[in-house]
Amino acid sequence: MSGYGDLHCASYVLLRVTEGSAARRWLGNFTDQIATGERPQKVTALNVALTYSGLKKLGLDEDTLGSFSRPFIEGMATLHRSRILGDADDNEPAKWNWGGVDESRAVDIVVLAFGADEGTLDKLLADTRAGFPQGGITELRTLDAGRHDDSHEHFGFADGMGQPAIEGTFQVKKAAARNVLKAGEFLLGYYNDYDKPADSPLVKAARDPRGQLKPPLPIEGDPVATNARAQMRDLGRNGTYLVFRQLAQNIERFRRFVDEATRHNGQLDRAASDRLAAKFVGRWQNGAPLVLSPDADDIALKDADDFGYRDSDAHGFKCPIGSHVRRSNPRDTLGPDGPTALKTANRHRILRRGRSYGHRPADPRVADDVDRGLLFLCLNTDIERQFEFVQQTWINNPVFGGLNGEVDPLIGNINKTATPAANPSQGGAGDANETSDAIFTIQADPLRTRVHSLERFVTVKGGAYFFLPSIRALRYLASL
Amino acid sequence: MNQTILTFITKVKPARVSDLKGLLEDMGNHVEDNSVIPFPSLKLLHFGSLVLNEDPAYGPMLVFENNFDGPLDPYLEDLYAHASAGLHRIYDCCVDYPAASAADKARMLSYLRAHVVHPNAYHIGNVGRSVERTHQEDALREGLENFLDDVVKQQNIGSPASIRQRVQAFVSSQPQFAWATNVQPRQSAIEHFIPRLKLVLAGVIALLLSPLLIPLFLIWLARLRWAETHEPPPADLDVNDQIGRLVRREDHTQIVQNQLCSITIVKPGAFRRLTLCGVLWLVNLIARTSDKGELSGIPSIHFAHWSIIDNGRRLLFLSNFDGSWENYLDDFIDKAATGLTGIWTNVVDFPKTSWLVREGARDGSRFKAQARATQTYTNVWYSAYKQLTVQSIDNNSAIREDLFTSLDDSATRDWLRRF
Repeated sequence: MSGYGDLHCASYVLLRVTEGSAARRWLGNFTDQIATGERPQKVTALNVALTYSGLKKLGLDEDTLGSFSRPFIEGMATLHRSRILGDADDNEPAKWNWGGVDESRAVDIVVLAFGADEGTLDKLLADTRAGFPQGGITELRTLDAGRHDDSHEHFGFADGMGQPAIEGTFQVKKAAARNVLKAGEFLLGYYNDYDKPADSPLVKAARDPRGQLKPPLPIEGDPVATNARAQMRDLGRNGTYLVFRQLAQNIERFRRFVDEATRHNGQLDRAASDRLAAKFVGRWQNGAPLVLSPDADDIALKDADDFGYRDSDAHGFKCPIGSHVRRSNPRDTLGPDGPTALKTANRHRILRRGRSYGHRPADPRVADDVDRGLLFLCLNTDIERQFEFVQQTWINNPVFGGLNGEVDPLIGNINKTATPAANPSQGGAGDANETSDAIFTIQADPLRTRVHSLERFVTVKGGAYFFLPSIRALRYLASL
Repeated sequence: MNQTILTFITKVKPARVSDLKGLLEDMGNHVEDNSVIPFPSLKLLHFGSLVLNEDPAYGPMLVFENNFDGPLDPYLEDLYAHASAGLHRIYDCCVDYPAASAADKARMLSYLRAHVVHPNAYHIGNVGRSVERTHQEDALREGLENFLDDVVKQQNIGSPASIRQRVQAFVSSQPQFAWATNVQPRQSAIEHFIPRLKLVLAGVIALLLSPLLIPLFLIWLARLRWAETHEPPPADLDVNDQIGRLVRREDHTQIVQNQLCSITIVKPGAFRRLTLCGVLWLVNLIARTSDKGELSGIPSIHFAHWSIIDNGRRLLFLSNFDGSWENYLDDFIDKAATGLTGIWTNVVDFPKTSWLVREGARDGSRFKAQARATQTYTNVWYSAYKQLTVQSIDNNSAIREDLFTSLDDSATRDWLRRF
């Protein structure tokens, strides 16, 4: 579950299983090396996660495979999921570097490797790779996050704050009550926000003769279902689903856009340019939320997370309604009253564990050919209700929060923003242009400004849904 | 201006099911420009859908959903004028269809009339707004958005009142917006008043009859509790394959809107059937007083309706809603669990319920599984304004309605925030 914040270097090794029984032996050995929450390690850490095809190749039975959640079984790149996720045009899976529809790029396993510095990570990777030849697996691609000593992403903004805290953990001490969620939202085998056990993959008890797995949680008030579950073993417990997407960022295009959009009498206006970028994001570069500090960055507020929008900024005058952070987590805004809105928004939270990749540009205003961006990783127990919902109903929703025909200015599927006029025969002039115009509205008193002709600053380059098993579940898989 | 919500429900000849399925699939893939029913030409139609349901226990059935402006007769005339040949092709696959050719207007329309099913309960999101008015008001807002883009670029944009004066002058100068100065209100005073009167009357009558009703209610309650503790528990539903089929038709409008059709089996016996009728009657009584766009706190339903069909054996639900299926079902669970549990607890496989409205849909994942299991594939779905939500239609109306009224400074600011 940890993001391993003290381990500054990370690589993600994408693997293909070529021989199931050898891969099981490899997994057994590898499991012994893996860090868990109970055994924090100071200089290195390893995790392993598997896709549906990976589990299948390891020899997991069909009944158990069928008990995984639907998005995990289908994978990230079906036609319907692409519509949900906004993976069209330049984002479409056919253009990805890994994952997606093409069999040759399909991933079975990802090894997540972390090191305190380059040396320890390199050694860890070398040791890990040494096991591949006999392990029935081949390396498909390695995504190096490289070294990141601070948590700013490439557009220059502090990233990683605004995370939910898990009830019953040390995180709760620092967290505002509004951000504390049930463990079952992020860990399978625990009760979720509906007070039901998170929907977890189950194995028939007869298929676990050595008793490696534990029985699933009972469902309170439902003795019939609870009895049926007593015949099962919980493969998911203490594991979760890992969403992994590679998001390339075009820094120069982003900078040029905000510079040009704010030019004053032909002159570059750096303050106005930074302000527009902050309006896109909803936080200032150092992290201060616009809703708390609307006029300038404030380092004292860099981690501020105990706020809503409803009372202080209902109309988006401080933090635009369509800004990235407000779309990603609308907090107390979408609903008949604040507490209900917060409760429903909290049903769709994710734990982000991403890292930047590619070195930071020397000058963000100068184009270079470096491939860089974000390796977006997030954890959740219900991919549909959490990650996909955020992506579909908030990020890429053209009518989010009462807006009209715009998507998230950073990670929305920008090419497809505009929708056709209500009735082409009455639409009047400008329809043809409008269908290709992506806009972003900055609410203001007395009149909003619309920024026109947004460009695509972020492009999806790969992705897959993984199951991140517990140590217990890994041992079970290795023993199949 | 009133809207009408109804379905034509016909039995399909078993031998013609595959013909009809092929025809509908083709229409569904080319909704806007199919040759069978040219939907965009039907100027009165808000939302329409065709569902071919093939439950072996009930025989193949075609549901043609129509949500349109005004009464049935002018709509039928318009439908016939634009789609007689297509309707003939469709209904020629149905049982007892009497017309020998598309030219036999009298027989075709009387067949349709004979198969009209009016819903037991329904909800309309944008009360009183015709298709034409919905389009006009959206075009007006688009025009004003572009005009305001120029206003905001000016060095000194001026006071709210002066911005508004410029907007008014612009609208007056544009012939295509001449309609905007003279539009009837959404509802007449009578249309607004009568549903409320009915609700109050029902309450008064219930009160007057309470000596009789209270014992009846207690008997009903005892019977309900017996049913809730003795009925078989809901089956565990495996819906993966079903969902795969359903989602092919979902999220095509960049999720601004979606449609769903659900056909559920009413629990056997007169008790559940009568309870369902009573609950729907009450829901309808209350829903008629909802003219602010919300159904039980859900702000995203354009047209939704429940019809008891097959002599009380099945319940048909059709909904045209904003956003994703997930979001819609979450709204059901979080905001309207009481009402919808009261309805659907009377059908088989609904999550365990107590006291008619408790628990039930609040078991989120089981409720969603049951909803997916009973959802049927919608072969054809048409929306006259795919990119508009209930809320944006209301916003467009409010812009137009207050365009030339007299507003104070604070109301002027509120009005400008609508852009």
